[in-house]
Amino acid sequence: VTALSRAVHVEHCMGTVFSIDIRDPGEWDGPIADVVAWLHQADALFSTFRPGSDISRVRRGELTVTDADPHVAEVLDLCERYESETDGYFTARWRGAPDPTGLVKGWAIERASTLLRRRGSGNHAINGGGDMQLAGEAAPGRPWRVGISDPADSRRILTVVTGRDLAVATSGTAERGAHIVDPVTGTPARAIAAVTVTGPSLTRADAYATAAVAMGTRVFEWAPRCAGHEVFVVDAAGQRWLTPAGPRTKNTAC
Amino acid sequence: VVEPRRPGPLTGTTAAGTAEADGRQTLTSAGHPRPINLRNLNQEAAEAGNADIDLVSGATYTSDGYAQSLQSALDKAGLS
Repeated sequence: VTALSRAVHVEHCMGTVFSIDIRDPGEWDGPIADVVAWLHQADALFSTFRPGSDISRVRRGELTVTDADPHVAEVLDLCERYESETDGYFTARWRGAPDPTGLVKGWAIERASTLLRRRGSGNHAINGGGDMQLAGEAAPGRPWRVGISDPADSRRILTVVTGRDLAVATSGTAERGAHIVDPVTGTPARAIAAVTVTGPSLTRADAYATAAVAMGTRVFEWAPRCAGHEVFVVDAAGQRWLTPAGPRTKNTAC
Repeated sequence: VVEPRRPGPLTGTTAAGTAEADGRQTLTSAGHPRPINLRNLNQEAAEAGNADIDLVSGATYTSDGYAQSLQSALDKAGLS
């Protein structure tokens, strides 16, 4: 057995922690520095906590989306697409001014993974606060193994997802309480403790996971329609649910 | 139109994924819940540099929450 090739970097950004884990042999300091710079650039553009960010200026009406950094229009377009795909439960428009915070982290990670691929890494993971894009495999011939934490005790693993070239996103109330709001009722969503979504794109999987928590028990009607995605649900009572395998099509949207 | 179906409960089982040839993965019900003791995992990750899992997915942790997380233990094994 040969030693596992690993280059790991941990970066604090966007109020959480990003783990960059490259499983290709070689020297990766340069590409990792580029990923770190990109993550902070995305935060600088999209942080609603920074008064000078492009998104803050757009929200106050000081900057039009057309005049803002082109990434702003891209992200807001994606928000609209996923709002449609989630029956309105993922929304960047709740209470007026656009707030794409729920999309930015997954989107930034997926782009960071693409950046690493362009720099020659076909096997890596970028995990931002529990949501991840996985490229290639963990070691030659061995797929990635992702533990899904128990929302009742985040140090326990409920289940393990294995796969190559996939995204895994989990949303829920475990770390920060009932912070996801049902946009239909305007009240915090509490019926679902956690939802994990797997699929090819972290941007979409992350938006779906957030929407699924907001849906409450409606998630059981919506999730089976998600072709190309698997949805794992832990309800507030601790009961676990899994969508039946969907139709095998190239369509990756609900 | 796909008829909505309520999925069956997974009580008493754990879901394990299987890699598909096209890169997609499918969750299937198999085995039993297998709690991982943090201390044991920490030791395993620190000593062997290789644990049963590569990463952890869960609700978004804060910077402080990360310090207590399994993901932190897995990262430390690769940072040494």
